[in-house]
Amino acid sequence: MENTYQNYRFKKLRSIYCLLPAILILFSQFLTSPLLGQNQRFIKGLVVDESNNSMPGVTIVSFKTKKSLGQTNTKGEFTVKIGDNENLLFKFIGFVNKTVIIKPTDKNITVVLKEDQNGLDEVVVRGYVSRSKELSTGSSFTISGAEVQDVPVANIEQLLQGKVPGMNIQINTGAPGFRGTTQIRGLSTLSVSGSGNESFLQPTSPLYVIDGVPLDANSAEEMGYQQQGPGVSPLSMIPQEDVESIEILKDAQATSLYGSMAAYGVIIIKTKRGSSEIPRIRYTGNYFVKTPPKLRSTLGGNLERAFKINEILQNATSISDIDKISQTPFLSDSLNAYYNNSTDWQGLYYGSTFNQSHNLAIDGGDQTFSYKTNLGYYNEQGIIQNTGFERYTGNIRMDYQPNNSNLKFMGQFTGQIGKQNKGSGTGLLQTGVASSGQSSTLLPDPSFYTSSNEYLSALSTDDDNLVKSLRANIEASYMILKGLSANAAVSYHFQSKTESTFVPAEANNMITKNYAYNGTETELYSRNSLTYSLSLHDKHNFFFNAFNEIRIVNSQNASITQVGTANDQIKGPIGFDAIKSEGGIVDYNDQRAISFALAASYDYKKKYVLDLSYRLDGSSGNGFDDLYTKNPAVGLRWNFSKENFSSELDWLNMGAIRLSWGINVIPNSTLQRIYGKYNITGNYNGEQGIGIDYGTIPNPVLKPTTTSQFNLGLDLNLFHNKIDLIYDTYYKKVDNLLFDMSLPNTVGFSTLNSNDAAISNYGHELSITFRPLPATSKVDFMFTINGAYNKDVLTKLPAEYGGQYIRFDTGDTKQHNLYRVGSATLSNYLLINEGVYATDSDVPVNPKTGLRYQTNGTFFQAGDPIFKDMNGDYILDEKDYTRTGNNQPLFTGGMSTTIGYASFTLSINASYTWKRTILNNALADRLSLMKDPFSSTAVVPLTDINMWRKPGDIAKYPYAYNYTRFSTISPFRYDQTLWAEDGSYLKINNIILAYQFNKRLVRTWGLNNLRVYLSMDNLITFSPYSGPNPENVTSMGRDVSNGYPVPRSYNIGINIEF
Amino acid sequence: MDTRKNRYIGTLILGVILPFSGCKKLYNLPEETLYLSPDISYTSQILEPVLGRMNILGSVSTNYSSLPITFEIKNPRYGNGKVYNDLFQVKPTYVWDAEYTGNETTLEEIESKRHLEDHPLFEVDNNGNFILWPSSNNELIEPRSIDGEDLTQNIRYFDLKISNSQGSKTIKDFQFLPWRERPYDPYTDIDPYTGELVPDPLDPSNPNKHDHITPSLSNVVGEKSNEQLVINSEKRDVVVYIKPFEGGNGHNLRFKFLNTDSLPINPAQFNETKWDNIIHGFNKTITDKYVQYDVAYPIPLTNISTKYSSNGNASVNFSYSRLGYGGILSISNISLEFKIFHPGDWEIVFHFINDNPKFEDD
Repeated sequence: MENTYQNYRFKKLRSIYCLLPAILILFSQFLTSPLLGQNQRFIKGLVVDESNNSMPGVTIVSFKTKKSLGQTNTKGEFTVKIGDNENLLFKFIGFVNKTVIIKPTDKNITVVLKEDQNGLDEVVVRGYVSRSKELSTGSSFTISGAEVQDVPVANIEQLLQGKVPGMNIQINTGAPGFRGTTQIRGLSTLSVSGSGNESFLQPTSPLYVIDGVPLDANSAEEMGYQQQGPGVSPLSMIPQEDVESIEILKDAQATSLYGSMAAYGVIIIKTKRGSSEIPRIRYTGNYFVKTPPKLRSTLGGNLERAFKINEILQNATSISDIDKISQTPFLSDSLNAYYNNSTDWQGLYYGSTFNQSHNLAIDGGDQTFSYKTNLGYYNEQGIIQNTGFERYTGNIRMDYQPNNSNLKFMGQFTGQIGKQNKGSGTGLLQTGVASSGQSSTLLPDPSFYTSSNEYLSALSTDDDNLVKSLRANIEASYMILKGLSANAAVSYHFQSKTESTFVPAEANNMITKNYAYNGTETELYSRNSLTYSLSLHDKHNFFFNAFNEIRIVNSQNASITQVGTANDQIKGPIGFDAIKSEGGIVDYNDQRAISFALAASYDYKKKYVLDLSYRLDGSSGNGFDDLYTKNPAVGLRWNFSKENFSSELDWLNMGAIRLSWGINVIPNSTLQRIYGKYNITGNYNGEQGIGIDYGTIPNPVLKPTTTSQFNLGLDLNLFHNKIDLIYDTYYKKVDNLLFDMSLPNTVGFSTLNSNDAAISNYGHELSITFRPLPATSKVDFMFTINGAYNKDVLTKLPAEYGGQYIRFDTGDTKQHNLYRVGSATLSNYLLINEGVYATDSDVPVNPKTGLRYQTNGTFFQAGDPIFKDMNGDYILDEKDYTRTGNNQPLFTGGMSTTIGYASFTLSINASYTWKRTILNNALADRLSLMKDPFSSTAVVPLTDINMWRKPGDIAKYPYAYNYTRFSTISPFRYDQTLWAEDGSYLKINNIILAYQFNKRLVRTWGLNNLRVYLSMDNLITFSPYSGPNPENVTSMGRDVSNGYPVPRSYNIGINIEF
Repeated sequence: MDTRKNRYIGTLILGVILPFSGCKKLYNLPEETLYLSPDISYTSQILEPVLGRMNILGSVSTNYSSLPITFEIKNPRYGNGKVYNDLFQVKPTYVWDAEYTGNETTLEEIESKRHLEDHPLFEVDNNGNFILWPSSNNELIEPRSIDGEDLTQNIRYFDLKISNSQGSKTIKDFQFLPWRERPYDPYTDIDPYTGELVPDPLDPSNPNKHDHITPSLSNVVGEKSNEQLVINSEKRDVVVYIKPFEGGNGHNLRFKFLNTDSLPINPAQFNETKWDNIIHGFNKTITDKYVQYDVAYPIPLTNISTKYSSNGNASVNFSYSRLGYGGILSISNISLEFKIFHPGDWEIVFHFINDNPKFEDD
């Protein structure tokens, strides 16, 4: 009985996308009716819920043949034809399936369906093992594959935005094939690399476990903007149509079983498996248009010239500037070739693109044997010319579980090809395009003659990036005894990454450039486990899971650059400039890791649950002193709704309190950090010397970064599934963070990798789902809102710093960061802007010297920005910087709603971020375009800017037209709070309108199912931010004008099932 | 429905959420504290101001300590431990309310931009700058010894306490070694140690001769020699005296020119001089002996660049033209950059020692 019931549970799942029963109705009614035997009879009945309301639309399935026999009518009544010894199964979404044994005497029966006590039979994954959610003590969130469909994206992560409380996803690039940033529960790092606009926070993405195989998604991004290689995100390689479910593990109880790599959370992705007795073919096609956001408006041609001349005449401080007008041909010489142009430079680069994706899934089989093949194609042309992403995927899976056997077997093979084109940029940044887009409209159209480097470079650079990935995994389990199973999984993953870039001569100062990158990575992964479950008197339940994991990762990357080949046609291998050309192995990695884990779980009548787990992680990168990191966790759960006192409460369907604690340890050691770096330097007795690099002192006692986390959660299901609430609060402490400490010059070495920094995050997460309409309503309505509050506090810095460290930006922006113990971790360290001096007399005067407030020897005047003189010395200098703003968001979350009526379904998804400081460097760039009217940069209309124009104006922005001030007081310097804006936003991520064709109708067309949908992505963002998109900013919260804008897309899609 | 049970559940839920809402305390997170660098320092701890003028001294590196920081002078004492207080006498002194631009048209307008305020003669401001106000003088503060040998017991010492809300730090043993007043500048004629006249460097042993202030000359031709007058290490054809005179209204400034007989030259001879742009003065009086203005002291008022100033000094230029040989217009200039710190009636005398300037045409 238990087994058959399991079968039916499985069937129920299957029916979500399997409409097989519908066909069977046809067959049974049209084909089988003449063949009715004598032993067939009709049975009538009524289906009601617990409150005795009749239930229309309940599916009735034959227990024996698994065929659908029909549905209840609007009054909840049914009449079905059954054979002898036939039992019936009644199914309705949101209700527990019910099997009714039909006695030969039954003619008219009444069936009472019980409401499904939401979520309790949901399954979660812990340590590669499925467990009932009812017994889980950790904090996790599950999203079904159906929620990530209908909006074509290269990277499914995009569609998770705003759906999971506590998972902060910022889609901060529109570059096809790249991914935004993902953080679970706040900040876990202090490491900022790069400078200026290219500063980036070390990515701390969660660990992805795809079909039971862990995948490190950070690896592609370690290099930041200047990464080498193709940079295709591994997540961009999974077609969304193939996703069965996604589970996000948030607290340490859930993640600690995944060890070191899971310190930033775990995202478990399961792909679909075959589940249809009759083989079926499903096709999904999307046809979508990507449109660039509104571009910067620019004054063209004559307007630009008039504007520049006017700017000079109004603000020139010397007669030579006036004279210079007549010496600048494009301003004054009407016969000059540069005079009569109006070139739309931005329009040359940005444009709408038409794209498509196709996915074909073939599956079939039953509980014993099932198979699936998924073929996907995705093509996205970037809205910047010469950029794009193309993907081909194939995934074959087979599941086998012989009847009456204790053996289960799964085999899967996945092949993926991702092809990316980055144009002349690095993907995330398109610097060439951005600076060329700022060219004066007076410059003639690009042509070979003008040899506009950036234009040609952007369009004619031959950039070809390929990622080829093959993965095979097999999993087998065998039940040795009742309750005791052995499981083994092996996976082999091979990935090749190549990049080939050719820049033709005319695009690169008449020197050709050939760049090739070649990387391979292999990973062998194996896991063996034993699970044992035991139940004593149906009261005391035990579950044990012991497993070990072995990973062997090898990678080698090489690159070669050849400069100055003979011509654009001969790209080598001979005839290049040997001096400027270089090449070799870029990096090499041979890593072994072994882990042992043990998890034990106990519950008493499913009321009180105790989870204990312990994992040892050893890695060849750890160093010998600390070979194994230890990751313990404890979890408790109390299902208080099962207590007697609450079982009588009508409105409380489910209630549970969870409490957990756990640790994830990430080793910081690398061979270089332990042993130092040796370089070929100098020579000794005529022999080449190899000496230590004095940059960083070796540190063999580097401690691993330890993330410990407490979580307290509350799960509630109220008013018969109408309200679903999940609340979590947590405290996460990240200790022993890597922090580069400067050493005194007497030491010899300049920096020490120290371990003495720490961050704490604490916060609250809430998710509420409303289903206010009764299950019988014609309108299906669901509304979910979630939000997360996260606050990070820097709790420790190396003692030598006395509680404060300033990371001075060495780039041109000088937007520094201040780390101060006790405050938000990533604060900006800037000059405070307090407006604009309306008149000269508003500038403060030093009472001692009688001099006006000044900087670099220039006195401030009307129209100049008011920089707060923090130390009161009437001189603006670096002493006037102060801590301001936090570039990490305080609140993130989202909302979504689904409304279904008849065959239509409308879903709207939104996400929001609240309280985040972002620096609008793009506006600074835009205003700074005014700095030199004699140069060949574009000018932009500033009529919409609240700018000082004449004495007495109270304005926000300083006077931009006085170009002589740019070199003295730099009114638009980046390092001021004028650019610090509130980056809060509410974004309508997408709207999907779907129509499901009548099944009878489509059957006449030879189809089994037909569904069409319209969707729009990145629809609109509401924000107080003055720039175009508060989300399209770097992880350090800077809106850089050379970023890749996030496009909007309009899509028509179709699902066909044969 | 059982309300008691409802309440029970409600309490349970609140009981879960409440303890965590006062998180900051629960998590024992460090409070944000301001930063006071242990490395706050001054480039020099020996202060050598000149009495009687505005001195802003000291160059502090706060090493990005959090503002506001307060600085306090502590433990003032002589080298032998004897306490002194003379530095902290409170006297009125000018402070600026508005910017002096050089375009003011009356003395009153200038005076309306500043007012007298009581300040200790010596204090430290919030930036760590030490201020010795112009109200200080040789009588109120005893300057360093005239022989230049300052014994420890005569040197003023003090400590500086630097604090913000995070804590405090004391830098010990600042030295205060003031120079005696120098009422004007250039001060080449007076010895800064003694305040006495400096012997003539060309004839150091002659007690009747002493060093002088010298102007700049350009194309000034001697009447007798018919050669360019020069000022160099061997020969000084023109010297300048900056000295007080009797009978003014207390804020006069007078320019005089003396010939080799020490008789006044008529200022009208300097026919190209723009007398209104010589100095920021008012009520110009031109006699045949001198040119006089009502002025505001100190001169210049601030070191802003105006048409009356150059390099932070008042800058005067007297010029005349004449026809040279061949009918060439020859323009000659005598100029001086100077400062006067003490209010009073001052005259600046240009004395032609060896030869008179030639005003006649050739």
